[in-house]
Amino acid sequence: MRSIIRDRAVVADAWRYAGEAGEGPEVLSLDAFLASAAGASSAAGTAVILQPTDEPEKLIPYLAQLALVVIDFPKVGEGRGFSQAQLLRQRCGYRGELRARGALKRDQLFFLARCGFDSFDLDPTEDLAASLAAFSTFTAAYQRAVDGALPLQSR
Amino acid sequence: MYQYDSIDRTLVNERVAQFRDQTQRFLRGELSEDEFRPLRLRNGLYIQKHAPMLRVAIPYGLLSSKQLRMLAHIARTYDRDFGHFTTRQNIQYNWPKLEQVPDILADLASVEMHAIQTSGNCIRNTTSDHLAGVAADEVCDPRPWCELIRQWSTFHPEFTYLPRKFKIAVSAAARDRAAVAVHDIGLHIERSASGEISFRVLVGGGLGRQPILGREIRSGVQPADLLAYLEAILRVYNRYGRRDNIHKARIKILVKALGATEFARQVDAEYEANRAFAPRVEAAEIARLQAFFRTQPYAALKDIDVLAGADAPFAAWYRHNTVAHRQSGYRAVFVSLKKPGVAPGDMTSAQMEGVAALAERFSFGEVRVTHDQNLVLADVPQHELRTVHAELSALGLATPNIGTINDMICCPGLDFCGLANATSIPVAAQINERFDDLDYLYDLGQIQIKMSGCMNACGHHHVGHIGILGVDKHGEEWYQITLGGSATNDASLGEVIGPSVAKANVANTIARILDVYVEQRQSAEESFLQTVRRLGIEPFKERVYA
Ligand code: SF4
Repeated sequence: MRSIIRDRAVVADAWRYAGEAGEGPEVLSLDAFLASAAGASSAAGTAVILQPTDEPEKLIPYLAQLALVVIDFPKVGEGRGFSQAQLLRQRCGYRGELRARGALKRDQLFFLARCGFDSFDLDPTEDLAASLAAFSTFTAAYQRAVDGALPLQSR
Repeated sequence: MYQYDSIDRTLVNERVAQFRDQTQRFLRGELSEDEFRPLRLRNGLYIQKHAPMLRVAIPYGLLSSKQLRMLAHIARTYDRDFGHFTTRQNIQYNWPKLEQVPDILADLASVEMHAIQTSGNCIRNTTSDHLAGVAADEVCDPRPWCELIRQWSTFHPEFTYLPRKFKIAVSAAARDRAAVAVHDIGLHIERSASGEISFRVLVGGGLGRQPILGREIRSGVQPADLLAYLEAILRVYNRYGRRDNIHKARIKILVKALGATEFARQVDAEYEANRAFAPRVEAAEIARLQAFFRTQPYAALKDIDVLAGADAPFAAWYRHNTVAHRQSGYRAVFVSLKKPGVAPGDMTSAQMEGVAALAERFSFGEVRVTHDQNLVLADVPQHELRTVHAELSALGLATPNIGTINDMICCPGLDFCGLANATSIPVAAQINERFDDLDYLYDLGQIQIKMSGCMNACGHHHVGHIGILGVDKHGEEWYQITLGGSATNDASLGEVIGPSVAKANVANTIARILDVYVEQRQSAEESFLQTVRRLGIEPFKERVYA
């Protein structure tokens, strides 16, 4: 079973991505999720994965039944997921688990967390335990973001 | 100038620690080249032709003497005793060692400097008017706004992995000295009849392979809403800018594809939808920043007749390398980094230290970097000008050629840059040699030559009155000439005059172009650019290819 970081701890992942073998409830693509109308619920709730071009606003009618939203970062340097996350957390008001997955290392954790991600499925080569320190790379921030850090511009 | 508080200092120090760790992980093989590249780039570190190249940020081109001394120290300790000032008001070092870069960054941090976001697909150093705060034609000092944007854009969590680099320039003067029309976002600060300031916003300007001038998408943006509006632009770009093709990833391509009107509509919609979450610029915060840029404590001096009894070299330097100041008894002095035989923008450690000392003695300890690769001592008392001239002459920094064709903008080209098609520095030398008669240069008046070694256009050739672009023809260096470009209020892109010319013929070609100008100008007052605009390129073309 895959290990991920959730709430700043290394834990086992209960979910299975679309197309993956094994146990656990499946994370659906946005199309599959929307096609199944309200989405196929499971005991753990419903989960969906967004690709970089997917519009997070489409999830607004279903937020209450979503237990997990995964945002995919298929390539090094992909950056749309940062905006998708801020939109989901702020404009859409999503409060459930929000996971970043893909070509990510500890170097992106600080910014991902600021945009509202609380779980992370990093590149398989990354040392997860050693990565936890990256959440405190910076102890201040100049901008307001999802994490609510006090914007220095009002110091 | 802006002084760091403990928070700014902490952030920069934490960045040094982060990059030290990343460099070590890369050297240990824990980060692949692909993974390390975007991380080193956002710390200004390129892998160039001969060695890494480190680009250090000089926010809106403003330096203290202490900072300039540190730049000299870095050039001497870690490089080959010189640095290169760029068109984005930054400095580049061409020979640092990768392992030493974290130490260089630590040295920079000790004087409130850094290399944060000087490269990579993120928001770059904000640039501005090199005469900010002393120009007679400005509506307010743009630098507090630049500092606000610097802070907002530093480590912005949402915009650290944009489709492509992103450059912002700010001008608050009637005459645009910051080339705002060729930036991803160009801001003009305007003042209404009732004294309120607001921002006029241009988007989608840029040079490179597809040169385009920025389009105005909004005016009247209120100070409190500035960052909210910038966030809306950046978010639309981050979501919808192309990422499939590096040559189509700049915001200009998105603006062009959508049309400026539709792009503006999307930005406005995003801006409205995001009101509840967007940053507001508090009046107290901007007042805090403005306090760092108060007018200098000028002495009560009267204007004097500086040229009375002056010798010819001083008089030439005074006329060409100094400009009027809004404070009586003062003058702004250009430090020419365009001495013939030296690569444009290059400066040795000793020269940097010399200028740092002059700034301390005569210009409140501050130096500015211009976007055409010179330095400025902005606040020199007129009665000290002779001393300043003598000392700059001794340093080799008083060539009286500011604004002439020898005051060229020139990228590093094939001598240093891995992307180049052709050299640019030797061509600059060729032009310098050919046009060594200063009286002829003065007679020609203001002519900007801008030269790039490839289509990436770091030398801004499209907006040179005369643009020179290096191209590769079957392994040989050839040069394409454009005429009629401009980067200021009347911004325009130059027109190609015809087939490219061989390296040995560049200066000859320019001589022919200048002959046409001298013959055809209607009066001594008609500038080269005006003549080109009046006549079009035909007569120049005929002469060049005759
Ligand atoms: S214009 Fe081309 S050759 Fe010149 S510095 Fe830029 S990338 Fe290098």
